[in-house]
Amino acid sequence: MSRVRSRIAGVMSVLGELLITVGVVLGLFVVYSLWWTNVLADRESSRQADLMRDGWKGGGAAGPGALDTQDGVGFLHVPAMKNGEVLVKKGTDLKELNDGTAGYYTKPVKSALPWDAKGNFSLAAHRDGHGAKFHNIHKIKNGDPIVFETRDTWYVYKVYKSLPETSKYNVDVIDPVPKESGRTKAGRYITLTTCTPVFTSDYRYIVWGELVREVKVDKDRSKPAELR
Amino acid sequence: MYGWIWRHLPGNAWVRAFISLVLVLGVVYVLFQYVFPWAEPLLPFGDVTVDGASADTGAGGERGAAR
Repeated sequence: MSRVRSRIAGVMSVLGELLITVGVVLGLFVVYSLWWTNVLADRESSRQADLMRDGWKGGGAAGPGALDTQDGVGFLHVPAMKNGEVLVKKGTDLKELNDGTAGYYTKPVKSALPWDAKGNFSLAAHRDGHGAKFHNIHKIKNGDPIVFETRDTWYVYKVYKSLPETSKYNVDVIDPVPKESGRTKAGRYITLTTCTPVFTSDYRYIVWGELVREVKVDKDRSKPAELR
Repeated sequence: MYGWIWRHLPGNAWVRAFISLVLVLGVVYVLFQYVFPWAEPLLPFGDVTVDGASADTGAGGERGAAR
């Protein structure tokens, strides 16, 4: 009788230890997702950002292969998100965004670039983990500036509409003329997309802006008024 | 289970505690370096782009080009 009881106790204790182990591993996964991936991504994106800035200083005359910016086009500054500058590269594959950068869309709707005469410069970045570059997207209000910095030009955009929740299938939001934002004419738009609510990706959060002005970069790279 | 491991570690209590610590750190390293990076894309927490299902993507691309 007591042997049976001790056998049951043994099985129960192994089961209990397994359950505790699963709990600890899940806890570690949260630590990994929300902290460790940020550490890695911030390290990688600042490395790539330094590379690109060095390339810019060299006047772009660096020999082939000397500069590996990996399709970087510039830096996004959104004062309302309080996250400094975000390196922007081509493409929105997770593998690229996981480096702690933002990417411009190549599909399903091809993004325009800021220097194009007309179009929508559409970007995506992580809300949490992997740098969490668009974590504070909900703090952006209408009228807030979004500044995109390239080697030679500051492109100053002004936010005119946000869409706090939409389906991930709603690819219309990154159309060249984003009708859902209320605009009907071709213009020079910027669209930020990320997932929402925080810590999940059930829906997408969209912010639209419109180009206000361009400022030439001077030799000190002094920032436009919006960033001071 | 953990009791069994503890009983099979060599040395006195301090040595066993040290080896346990090393084992735990090793497991955490393997989780962070290999297991979590593999598991993460399989979980629906990090999708940030607007994108149709794969069938829609082609249609979206065509339509984008037509405009």
